[in-house]
Amino acid sequence: MATYIVRRILWGIVLLLAVSAITFIFFNVFPSADPATLRAGRNASPAIIHYIRHELGLDRSVPVQFFNYMKNIFLHFNFGYSFYTGASVLSLIKDRLPATISLAMGGAIIWLMLGIPVGILSAIKRGSVLDRLAMGVALVFVSMPVFWLGLVVLFLFAQDIGRFHVLPGANTYTGLTVDPWKWFTSLIMPWFVLAATSAAVYSRVLRGSLIEAMGEDYIRTARAKGLRERRVIFRHGVRSAITPVVTIFGLDLGALLGGAVIIETVFNIPGIGRLNYDAIGHSDFPIVQGTVILATLFIVVANIVVDIAYAYLDPRVRYS
Amino acid sequence: MRVSRSLIASVAVTGLLAVGITACGSSNSKSSSGGGSSSQSSSANSSSSGGVQSIPLKAGENPVGQTLTGSTKKRGGTLTVYSSEDFEHLDPGESYFTQDYGVDYPTQRPLFAYMPNTANEVSPDLATVIPTTANGGITDGGKTVTVHIRSGVHFSPPVNREVTSADVAYAIERAANPNVANPYFPAYFGAGAPAPLQGTTANYKGGPIPGIQTPNKTTIVFHTVKPSGSFLVSALSLPISAPVPQSFAGPLDKKSPTTYGTKYLVATGPYMIKSDPKTGLFQGIGYQTGKSLTLVRNPNWNAKTDFRPAYLNQINFSIGGDATVIGRQVLQGSHAVQFDTPAQSAVKLAYQQYPSQITFTQGSGDHYVALDNAAGVFKDVNLRRAVWANLDRAAIIKLRGGSLTGSPATHFIYPGVTGYEQAGGAAGPQVPWNKSVTGNLQVAEQYMKAAGYKSGKYTGSATVQIVGANNGNDPAIIQLLNSDMTQLGFHTHVSLVDQSVMYAKYCGVPKQEIDACPTVGWVRDFADPLTVLYVPFYGPAITPTNNSNWGQVNDPQINAAMQKAALVTDPTARAQAWANIDKMLVNQAVAIPEDFDNQANLESKDVAGVNELWNTGTWDLDFTSLK
Repeated sequence: MATYIVRRILWGIVLLLAVSAITFIFFNVFPSADPATLRAGRNASPAIIHYIRHELGLDRSVPVQFFNYMKNIFLHFNFGYSFYTGASVLSLIKDRLPATISLAMGGAIIWLMLGIPVGILSAIKRGSVLDRLAMGVALVFVSMPVFWLGLVVLFLFAQDIGRFHVLPGANTYTGLTVDPWKWFTSLIMPWFVLAATSAAVYSRVLRGSLIEAMGEDYIRTARAKGLRERRVIFRHGVRSAITPVVTIFGLDLGALLGGAVIIETVFNIPGIGRLNYDAIGHSDFPIVQGTVILATLFIVVANIVVDIAYAYLDPRVRYS
Repeated sequence: MRVSRSLIASVAVTGLLAVGITACGSSNSKSSSGGGSSSQSSSANSSSSGGVQSIPLKAGENPVGQTLTGSTKKRGGTLTVYSSEDFEHLDPGESYFTQDYGVDYPTQRPLFAYMPNTANEVSPDLATVIPTTANGGITDGGKTVTVHIRSGVHFSPPVNREVTSADVAYAIERAANPNVANPYFPAYFGAGAPAPLQGTTANYKGGPIPGIQTPNKTTIVFHTVKPSGSFLVSALSLPISAPVPQSFAGPLDKKSPTTYGTKYLVATGPYMIKSDPKTGLFQGIGYQTGKSLTLVRNPNWNAKTDFRPAYLNQINFSIGGDATVIGRQVLQGSHAVQFDTPAQSAVKLAYQQYPSQITFTQGSGDHYVALDNAAGVFKDVNLRRAVWANLDRAAIIKLRGGSLTGSPATHFIYPGVTGYEQAGGAAGPQVPWNKSVTGNLQVAEQYMKAAGYKSGKYTGSATVQIVGANNGNDPAIIQLLNSDMTQLGFHTHVSLVDQSVMYAKYCGVPKQEIDACPTVGWVRDFADPLTVLYVPFYGPAITPTNNSNWGQVNDPQINAAMQKAALVTDPTARAQAWANIDKMLVNQAVAIPEDFDNQANLESKDVAGVNELWNTGTWDLDFTSLK
């Protein structure tokens, strides 16, 4: 197992390099503005643009620029500086990351707490009113655009603009270390909006997987051995059926930690997603590159964790 | 500067543009209320509006007639200012965006500034009086401008000392430093200006300017190579003239880019960004990038030296978020205003349900379709006229949000700018291609025939390259233009890209030879019609990159007329001269005007908002108070 993990980590590093290179190439090949021109501002003279291009190292060849960039990241943990503001990308990411982690982790906990029980109940009670109702509701939530759902929730329940003044609305995010209670209440609505779609997907996936698992021979064997039904379901059925859920959970959480642009925008949560979105709008390459690498890192790590979890959940999986 | 990044960008590249500033006029200005006491009461009269006809939404609450000061105004309290967009630059030497000006003018004191109820009359701010020929401030035939600055104006902590003329000189000199890279220095003060400061060259990169002298601590003298006089005075209302202490900012300016304005800043105005009083560091204290900015009172500000009442104790900017949500938060909330352009749904909601909480300001800029005059199919003036004749400008107004948010543009000097009426007012020059704002296919076909296309339809093989922004309602407007062009037989190729990319990579790069750049826009930089027409239409101002003459207009007659008009000092004659140039631009159909913009402003029910006329028409936070 240890060898496997080390190998995965090494491949993860290779993947990070590949993603960095691809992002770098995209910015140099696809339509984007000249960073020196953007940094120089409107009406800048060619002399000033030339000076800034030199200062930013943009007058060097693309491979040299890429090498220098990667060298700064791996040797100095320096992701560069915003073309616009001159702010350190690492400091910007550090500043925004807590909000994104708060949003992602809270949302993930809620969607798992909702999606898994509903999926299990629907599978066990297959064909019942409960099953049909749960899957119907899930279908509704899957179909709802997150942006729209966020606005609806705000217009219904936000303390300032809602019809029912229940919870803090947009622009109320407070850091956990600043005020834990405000942090918690300001994230309740974003968490549930974020969880709504995912919980619906997870419940439907788990239901289908569990229904299939419960028809397997080993389930029949377990029952024949006289095990209690609850033990059969949870110890043998769910443990096997949850594997695809774990797979998508790893990808979802990893991607979410890389930034939840829509939720962060609707609720004005200053996270990685908004940072990246704004940077793209400005062609602020260092920030885009930094946030993309961060997102890749999260996805790689999440997948390694998922693979390890497989071995625990499914006795048939063994890594060597 | 415009209200939204979209506009800004549009304006962007050049300096003057858009976003920025506004105000204008002819120059000279009398010293109206200027410096003096904060208790003065003035409600503007229509004559100061520079021709702006206020929208009769709410009697007595349009920008021209609003109450600025007096006993009815409440002092104190905290205002929340919502803005979905972040600031670009907080350094007065760099800033060129409406959002930035929202912080600049409450925190800095340029030599001259505007009362919110005037579009064209500059007032002395750091200066003691407006220099004129009569008071000896303008001499040498307009080539020398002498400005005396007030005593008793101090920098905020940690500098604390009194402002001197050398601080103003340094503020202007540093603007050309590539680490600061002020966007409008070249066009108004440097080698590209109609009347450059003596000693500035195209490669000037900061350092002492021979054309700026400081004979004593309260006097600064500007020498220009050509007569500029009152034009220079108006230009000195830009934030570039706000004093900067070299002892504090000099070391910061050596970094690329400067950290003055990104980490450290000092103020001279009534407010300052909340910062460490020992170092001036505000990043992470009073400003969280992408999150918030807090303005608190400047402890060293002396109200007796300023015309700003500065009613509020604190101003909290909340950055980011969805404009639809922000609009509701302001309308249904308390002690809040929206600083950037509201969402159309919010404007509609306010107009229908909260009419006392919305104002509209005319004269906040314009939009037009830039056509390549130098290459491609639109090198032919008759084809430009044909497209103009067929463009449905009334439909564009609907796409932008209806008549409250703008009116069809008929020429290039927009309402509120001196010369607007002389250029034809709302109707504009009565040339055939300009008469129908809904588009007239028959007239268009006449010009197609005049261009040699006997069927009235384009039969050539060229494909018209159209590049536009992919945000807001721009794609719909571009689609409309595309439809009108194809109706005339043109083959088109439309590319929608991010607005910054549109300017920096396509429309602002002449060698790309983009045939049409729809929805570019402009906002004057200060009170002079030159700032509306000079950069976007003056041939010698064309640059290989960052070009703001998007249509590459380079007509010798127009260039000559601009050179001549730039040196006219009499206000009336100057307005007429630029109005005549506007007519020349229309006659050559150098671009197609789309709309004259209005700025919608939202406020909470317990806010006595004051919006300005001199820039994009948004809230003036120096005069806004709580109820």
